[in-house]
Amino acid sequence: MSSLHAVPPEDDEYYGQHYEPWLFQTMLDELSASELGIGFIYSVLDLLAQRYELSDAVVVLVHESFGTQSFRLGRRSLTPEMTENFASAGVYCEPDVVPDVERDAVRTACQLALSLHLARFSAAQDPLTKIANRRAFDTALQASAVRSARYGWAFTLVLCDLNDFKAVNDVSGHAFGDDILRQFGFALRLSVRQGDTAARIGGDEFAVILSNAEGNESSGFIERLRAHLEKVGVEIDFTFGIAASPSDSTDPAELFRIADGRLYEKKGIKH
Amino acid sequence: MSPTEEDFELELRSLPGVLNVGISHRESGDVDGVKLVIHGQDCAAIKTIASQIASLYYPDATVSVEDASQVVPANAGASPRVALVRADFNAEDGVCEVQLAYEGRTGLGRAGSGQLFGGAEATLTALRDLGFDVPYYLLAAVSVATVRGWPVIVTLRSPSSDRDMLGIAQSERDLVSASMATLDALNRFLSNGQKND
Repeated sequence: MSSLHAVPPEDDEYYGQHYEPWLFQTMLDELSASELGIGFIYSVLDLLAQRYELSDAVVVLVHESFGTQSFRLGRRSLTPEMTENFASAGVYCEPDVVPDVERDAVRTACQLALSLHLARFSAAQDPLTKIANRRAFDTALQASAVRSARYGWAFTLVLCDLNDFKAVNDVSGHAFGDDILRQFGFALRLSVRQGDTAARIGGDEFAVILSNAEGNESSGFIERLRAHLEKVGVEIDFTFGIAASPSDSTDPAELFRIADGRLYEKKGIKH
Repeated sequence: MSPTEEDFELELRSLPGVLNVGISHRESGDVDGVKLVIHGQDCAAIKTIASQIASLYYPDATVSVEDASQVVPANAGASPRVALVRADFNAEDGVCEVQLAYEGRTGLGRAGSGQLFGGAEATLTALRDLGFDVPYYLLAAVSVATVRGWPVIVTLRSPSSDRDMLGIAQSERDLVSASMATLDALNRFLSNGQKND
């Protein structure tokens, strides 16, 4: 794989200031090595600290979704007293020795990293429940099905539907209904293991992909979910349908159809 | 969704009013604690939500929240400061012009004699224009070479005593440095609000 290289300007000047190619090159190396996100911001602060022997460094960014955000060297928190000193966007260093051109470059790169991380996160997340959205779920199901077909890796698809949710909305209002959905999503997140995918795929429809799990192992997940719902205080029941791969199918659409059919069967509705 | 530390931090930063997130680790590398600094939000509510999020990613991590808006600003209760609004040098007639602001009013001062002396003199004139009775005269304004640049040192002397007031400042221009150094020299005097009126 080819790597990126910073090309220094011919006259060694960048907007009238001395140009330091080390920063641009190391930032590009960092970019090539990882996805652009919050981790990149801390990496760049580390780079600055090493280069200039800084004892402390803070980058303050202003983002339209986040407001003012401060990132401090070593992932340390600021004290409330310090926030007063770092109220406006910029790069603050101790000792104050970093050239302006490098501060500007760091701030711009960090702003980009934060924006891209948020965009990536938002694109895959349901804004109400903070679990995966339909698009992320479809991608995860496709990937799981391909692995299952190719290597025989087992996984279980669980579809959940809240019972009488329409009545909740009609009687108690949509704000209350949103609360129920939010809490159900939270209970789902508590119930899945690392590597599993929990998603909201419709109004009151949720889906879970249990990795490395045969169909009968899903009972553990259902028990955990019921326990967490009780803990969270959600007074609504749900119906679920299950399909297992590769035993039921390795085709994602077929798996979905099977799980959906079993869910409606339990609800007593002809599908 | 991958429960990575980066996503965890991003979720915490998405909470309303969060200014900064600090994460501490155990020797094993696991997340040990999370500290949020927030502004203008209910600490207890944010802590509840943050604890819920933490329980998803790192169930054993402790969560603490501090409210930056409870901190009394360092300059609270202090008298208003004299601020340098602008300092210009007219190369044609060699005159420095300094404008200062104090409690919403501005004062203007002009002086010749180059950017160092002129900047300091113009600043003293601008202070008098603002109503300050400044009992000092300019003794010296020099720039000195240091490894970190060329700061300007201003010395003021009181006619009634031999006590000198010294100020030092460094900026991109000598004129601005001289003006700031003059204000620096008068720092304690100005903070006592020594005015004519």
